[in-house]
Amino acid sequence: MLELAIGIILGGCALGAGCAMIAGIGPGIGEGNAVAKACEAIGRQPESQGAVTTTMLMGCAIAETTGLYALVIAILLIFLAPGRFVNILLRSI
Amino acid sequence: MKVDPTVKRETAYVAISSVVLSVVMELVFIIIGKWDYRVLLGNLLGAGIAVLNFFLMGLTVQTAVKLEEKTARDKMKLSMTLRSMLLMLTAVLGILVPCFNAAATIIPLFFVRIAVALRPVVIRDKSTKSEEKREG
Repeated sequence: MLELAIGIILGGCALGAGCAMIAGIGPGIGEGNAVAKACEAIGRQPESQGAVTTTMLMGCAIAETTGLYALVIAILLIFLAPGRFVNILLRSI
Repeated sequence: MKVDPTVKRETAYVAISSVVLSVVMELVFIIIGKWDYRVLLGNLLGAGIAVLNFFLMGLTVQTAVKLEEKTARDKMKLSMTLRSMLLMLTAVLGILVPCFNAAATIIPLFFVRIAVALRPVVIRDKSTKSEEKREG
């Protein structure tokens, strides 16, 4: 029974980490779209390349943080959470 | 490959902001009494990788804006994936290797976001000062 409980904890943590990493898809698509639109804008007005690049860099940095949050949550769920949960389980028995 | 002046300027801004925020973080660790050499090493690793990540993103953007729309989009997605792997490796190193403090390694990865959020304040402050100088 204990093995089953530990298995459920480990499986839940892995599943949670996988679900968290779904958030990593968004920033990639968003950054790609931003750069594509920037290409379009620079094609129309080549003299605005500096301003467009600066704005886009800042936008990409912000967009990327969302993926980073997901990454950190996933890593915590994989490396730290299982040990803590198993300890709690063993203490409660 | 020549680095665009915009990328250089923004990376320098992010690097300076990371140094300032790292000092603040070290001070917080000292105040709460949790400081040891592992905090310093973790901070160096995390902040270094965060700045490197921003610089690599700048290089990709600089190259991508000269390409066609579809190629630029694909290039940016590939870059994002590779940079995410770099960040993941850093976070895993910070957690698993005993000579790094896990919190001190992960927190600096968010310094770029804080630096970007504070940018309008810093830039406005600079522009206000230069306007005051011109008027004075």
